[in-house]
Amino acid sequence: MTNDQAGGAAPPDEYVEAEIQRLLTEDPAVAEQGITVIRREDALVLYGEVESPHRREEILRRVSERFPDVSITSDIGVIRAQAPTEIEQLP
Amino acid sequence: MVIRIAAVGDVHLDEDVVGRFRPALEELPECADVLLLAGDLTRHGTEAEARCVAQEFGGLAVPVVTVLGNHDHQCDQVPQVVKVLEDAGITVLEGDGVVLDCAGGRLGIAGVKGFGGGFAGRCASDFGEPEMKAFVRTTNESADRLGAALRSLDCDMLVALTHYSPVPDTLVGEPLEIYPFLGSYQLGQAIDSAPTALAVHGHAHAGTERGTTPGGVRVRNVAHPVIKQAYSVFHVGDQLDTDQVSPIGGSGSQRSWS
Repeated sequence: MTNDQAGGAAPPDEYVEAEIQRLLTEDPAVAEQGITVIRREDALVLYGEVESPHRREEILRRVSERFPDVSITSDIGVIRAQAPTEIEQLP
Repeated sequence: MVIRIAAVGDVHLDEDVVGRFRPALEELPECADVLLLAGDLTRHGTEAEARCVAQEFGGLAVPVVTVLGNHDHQCDQVPQVVKVLEDAGITVLEGDGVVLDCAGGRLGIAGVKGFGGGFAGRCASDFGEPEMKAFVRTTNESADRLGAALRSLDCDMLVALTHYSPVPDTLVGEPLEIYPFLGSYQLGQAIDSAPTALAVHGHAHAGTERGTTPGGVRVRNVAHPVIKQAYSVFHVGDQLDTDQVSPIGGSGSQRSWS
């Protein structure tokens, strides 16, 4: 872990990105493989889609808790679950 | 002969999701003869999560056929998960198949979870450390079981159901570096060893809906984050209503049942 390097305005380093990516999958409270971590200036942005608003909130909470000195924002959506409006014909 | 197939994968159910899919699932008999689930039904593969799947996808008016995904293996409770699903009337495939009598004919479905390994020219080989050999042999054995199951079914139309992808086409959008963890060409080779009409898979959340095996079999990635609806519906057959046939390059046609 490299938390000691990530204080204040210091840019997040690749090891932090890697740690977050693994946390997203390996933390039982998250267990998501479809979230992408993108570096933007001095912040990290989490992109992807999950099945419920609760999971979206939990992701941000767990990552912020583990990396309190890293600026993290979330742009995670909740996947729609409506019936389809089109069919695909496969002759 | 037209058989109507609904499919979705990667629904990752837990208590917080129960009920979200059900209103759409209640409409299934109007548009589909069967619902296929392409694995990753749960978040961690626990018996409790499987009960959520049973509640959401059990007791539907159409048969439900599934394979498991990697998430469904996480807590090493596969036997318990399978039992809960089967008790709810859901058919769980792993290296075997089922034939369903549909209005349009006999639909044969063969399924395996599948595994990674990569695609032709850029794949792992059965060579070197025991761990690497075990990895590739797991893929080979899974694909062999899928091929044997596909070739064994006596039916009018054949569908392959996997969690991992049989082709790279439907992975477009995922980082190239992780393709070997998303599927393997051996699954495609197994699908091409039988007269398969359609192959359905999940697993690649950032992938693409449509692809084709080297042998010309249509492949569809139905991972929920990809299709962004409760399920996709495919009407497969040789006597479709030409007014409804999708134009080439089109995204589909309007549903005919509304």
